[in-house]
Amino acid sequence: MTAKIDPFTLEVIRNALTAIAEEMSLVVMRSARSPLLREAGDLSSALTDAEGNMIAQGRDIPMHLGVMCFTVKEFLKRVPASRMTPGDVWFLNLPEVGGNHLPDVKAIRPIFYDGTLQAFAVSLAHWADIGGAVPGSYVAFATDAWQEGLRISPVRLFTADGPDREKLDFVLANVRGAPEREGDILAQMAATRSADLRMQDLYAQHGLETVNRTITALHDRAEAQMRAAIADLPAGEYRGEDWLDDDGIGDQPIAVRVRIVLEKDKALFDFSESDDAARGPINSTPFIASAAAFYAMKVLTGPEIQPNGGCYRPLSVITRPGSILEPGIDLPVVGGNHETSQRVADAIFRALEPVIPERLSAGGATTSGLLLFGGKRADGVWTTLYETHGGGEGARIDRDGAHVIRVHLSNVMNTPAEIIEAEYPIRIDAQRLRQGSGGAGAHKGGEGLHREYHMLADEMSLTTMFERRIIPPYGLQGGADGAPFRVDVIAADGERRELPGKTNVRLGRGDTVVIESSGGGGYGIPAGDER
Amino acid sequence: MKSAWQVGIDVGGTFTDVVALDPATREIRTAKVQTRAADPRAGLIAALSAVNLEWENVADLIHGTTLITNAIVEGHLAKVTLIATEGFGDSLAIGRQNRRHLYRLDLAPKATPQVPAERRIEVRERLDANGQVRVALEDSALTDAIEQAQATGAEAIAVSLLHAYANSTHEARIGAALKGTSIPVALSHLVNPEAREYERTATTVLSASVMPLADRYLEQLESASPEASRLHLFHSSGGMASPAALRNLPLGLALSGPAAGVAAACKVADELGIDHAISLDMGGTTTDVCLIAGGRAEISVDRSLGDHPLRQPMVAIESIGAGGGSIARLSLGAVEVGPDSAGALPGPACYDQGGTTPTVTDANLLLGYLEAGQKLGEKIRLNRDAAQSALAPLARDAGVSVTEAAYGILRVANATMVRALNRVTVERGVDGRDCDLLAFGGAGPMHAVELARAFGISRVIVPAASSVFSAVGCVGAEMQYAQQQTVRMTSADWNRQRLSEIQTRLIERLSAPLQEADYNNDSIAVDFVASVRYSGQSYATEITTPELEDPDALGRQFQETHERLYGFATDEVWELYALRCTVSVPREGSPASTLAASAQGTPQKTESCWFGGEQAVDTLRYDRAAVATDQKIAGPAIIEDAWSTIVVPPGASAKPDQFGHLHIDVGSAE
Repeated sequence: MTAKIDPFTLEVIRNALTAIAEEMSLVVMRSARSPLLREAGDLSSALTDAEGNMIAQGRDIPMHLGVMCFTVKEFLKRVPASRMTPGDVWFLNLPEVGGNHLPDVKAIRPIFYDGTLQAFAVSLAHWADIGGAVPGSYVAFATDAWQEGLRISPVRLFTADGPDREKLDFVLANVRGAPEREGDILAQMAATRSADLRMQDLYAQHGLETVNRTITALHDRAEAQMRAAIADLPAGEYRGEDWLDDDGIGDQPIAVRVRIVLEKDKALFDFSESDDAARGPINSTPFIASAAAFYAMKVLTGPEIQPNGGCYRPLSVITRPGSILEPGIDLPVVGGNHETSQRVADAIFRALEPVIPERLSAGGATTSGLLLFGGKRADGVWTTLYETHGGGEGARIDRDGAHVIRVHLSNVMNTPAEIIEAEYPIRIDAQRLRQGSGGAGAHKGGEGLHREYHMLADEMSLTTMFERRIIPPYGLQGGADGAPFRVDVIAADGERRELPGKTNVRLGRGDTVVIESSGGGGYGIPAGDER
Repeated sequence: MKSAWQVGIDVGGTFTDVVALDPATREIRTAKVQTRAADPRAGLIAALSAVNLEWENVADLIHGTTLITNAIVEGHLAKVTLIATEGFGDSLAIGRQNRRHLYRLDLAPKATPQVPAERRIEVRERLDANGQVRVALEDSALTDAIEQAQATGAEAIAVSLLHAYANSTHEARIGAALKGTSIPVALSHLVNPEAREYERTATTVLSASVMPLADRYLEQLESASPEASRLHLFHSSGGMASPAALRNLPLGLALSGPAAGVAAACKVADELGIDHAISLDMGGTTTDVCLIAGGRAEISVDRSLGDHPLRQPMVAIESIGAGGGSIARLSLGAVEVGPDSAGALPGPACYDQGGTTPTVTDANLLLGYLEAGQKLGEKIRLNRDAAQSALAPLARDAGVSVTEAAYGILRVANATMVRALNRVTVERGVDGRDCDLLAFGGAGPMHAVELARAFGISRVIVPAASSVFSAVGCVGAEMQYAQQQTVRMTSADWNRQRLSEIQTRLIERLSAPLQEADYNNDSIAVDFVASVRYSGQSYATEITTPELEDPDALGRQFQETHERLYGFATDEVWELYALRCTVSVPREGSPASTLAASAQGTPQKTESCWFGGEQAVDTLRYDRAAVATDQKIAGPAIIEDAWSTIVVPPGASAKPDQFGHLHIDVGSAE
């Protein structure tokens, strides 16, 4: 067996690996084109070992962690290592290949040293368009996977000699905004190239064997951290559920159900009893269910747990084929990535309410609150504004919830009014706290957001993709629910109508879209209400 | 005795550093005295007398201070009332909607807005993104808003109207109407004329909230000095400014001291003809690094301090939580160092002030780099036994000797610093291995060589007077004012006239304090940096000495820079997004004067030091003042003065030049 790595070298190399992954994210953020990448930072970077076990992550987006821990493993099932050569960059976005939804495209570069495959660099970026029925590729009415856009099975777009122009053009021919997409592709390629160069330095400096033994030790360490964290929770079997408003096609709520079994230092998350796959685009993948389970464990027990492949070893996640969390390849998934994933986390939290309420927050704006506007600017340029909306945070045992904030699996920023007005045919008429939206309680839920978007072009499109419109953020331990999400259109003629949570509509000049994001749930019985 | 001394005084939390230069004789005096936070006036006089000077001897006094930084970090801020555009009063509460801690549900996800709801006042008016007036500001609305603001009992007022960076007239009218009151006022188009309402508003509010403090402090200083015009302050973007200018824009002082150190490093890099250098200033709790290219410090315009976004041109210092007081701990098979620190009190275990946790300084003492029994200031005497007891448990748990543990702690501390070096270089498209490392401050020169080796740097420079280096930067400072302004002009829609107007306005605004101080226009140098991006990109690429007269040439500059930074460039439409303007009055006379050649120094003593090999090695210890110019000292050696220690490990060699800067060839550990 190999000798143990000393605790100093371990930390030195861990720092170096993290720096490499961080550098990848910087490269993408600074050179990408999509507003989503540059402004909101909807991207992640990772290094994995030769088997695809994650070693280090750059930008820590909780949602992407789960996905990236599986991407390379699944990729290797499709493309054997023997087919890879130094300088390759492979691209893919299939949800079933360690993925989540089509817009999140992964670029994977095999890293060789001394002529053998040692590691992979993965750059995940949310493309602002991946083709499909509507600009922005959020097809609320999609009933199958092919309506959602271009499905990229693993394809080698770059070799050591440069881009494979024909394949690249094939991809670009199938998405909107080809120049912008090409910029994103180049940015992802550049990120993996910087990782390759840095890994070469690292191997040369410390020796291949030391680096690889350190990686093994880091995995073991994360596993030990996760085991200790699980052991810290009361053993037992717990059940919880949370509900999606609807799937955008029908109007029935859809349940995500979990059975959690905590036993010494192991945890089982069994989602088999969740509802069947939906017809609309809110299905999800087992990888996302794993990401949400990992997130829940980390916030409840051990924020310091290192996010790498080792931390999954003590967790078993079961999903049922045919269910909303394992729908098969032909059903649409675009909204499941940020809506259903949050239901998974909420179901876990609600399961644990009877035993550890003091560690939980009441329900928050666990939805992306996505509005996607499309329209032509005065200069004739087509623009797409992809805007997510935070809401009130749920209250806790010792404090009120925060106002207008992203909770749990997402942390994407907003676009300032001054940027929107300069770059899109939209005027913001007001942006305020939505007073009174937070749920009452011994501690109050946070307030949501009120923002008004005024259309300045003749033909504009709007896609909505949000939850908590019908089923509001829940109160905890007797606290009241928060006010639900609501989006209205006030037409130029003054007529007002509420929009569904998953829809594509056309708008005209002078129409105003008013979003009121949900308030957070309260915690505990409000003072004066005790019987 | 009347003479014309130039004096730099950097007031830090614990110590005040002084450097005095007589330009006529090139005589330099340096000193370090205890900071007297309660009475800054007495502190300055004490600092002067430490170098045997009185006010009458001083021609220019340039002063760096942590006053504003500390007030912001500790939250000692004035009560501000905000006047904002109708419909947009809650910008501060909304922020950017992202949370600070991804995995900490127990902690508040964002800071409480600096201005509570009852002091946020909305006024009816509206501009669009081009600065066109959509809703005029009526006199009645203006009067109402001012009355409401005054009724809040504000100690300062911030005005931040939507798109004011594109048209300042509405803000200026409100500012003029408030002139009659005695309340300090900050207008967003003067503080930070850049787009993004949250960041501009937050910066403006923060500026307003330190105005009363800055006002009081500057008044005290001015009353202390016989003639106010001789007093200058060192500001965050790397030059000095008049007290009057800083009264209006006190955020310029937010990085005063650290920026002065970097400015001094720039001078040294320039003097020695070093193309790329990284400054390394290691203190008790943090280490500051900054990239210096072509003798100029990189400038950042978007950073934060504590919970506050702070959008001002500032020397682009990257700060990491690893310093002499950083605590080492073993956690599940890995030894981590920092970011928590033993601070000044109790400080490292070896300070013998009650600290028991092992720190980086304790490790340096146990390795023999610091000397047992050595005195730091009046109170502290380094205690080796205390360091030994603090490290012993960690060493035992790690299964190594105490000395090995001490060396390991340094390696880990250096590894975290390597990450910072990486960030300041890679982000700028610079290969860090081509840089020299300029190390100063208390602990920088102790770590520099090992750090350089870990990062792949081959030369370390420890400048003369390295332990009072920020004060050196103050002395050498030039008058300078800088600001960044959002422009938004695409190559397809180039408007030379609008650009000229923007340039003229910036120059006028920034050189106003220089003209008030009677500098004539010929002596004022103007410098622009252009931020250019492809339409649709967010991060703009900075172009130095931009060809603003010729958009085609500017486009080529942009493409070349983009290619260098990101490995690709295209022919599509680009946009001049912002312009940063710096006006300055270049100044003669740097403190780096030739030192009198001293006799060949001989080592004071020999001691055992440990450099990670099998055993300790005999190491010569030199007094820095006694080392002669061009005397080559081969490692292992320690070169020290009263306030800092330079470690020259085996394989490295050091040689002072005629300026007194020590050049260290890091060699290899063999």
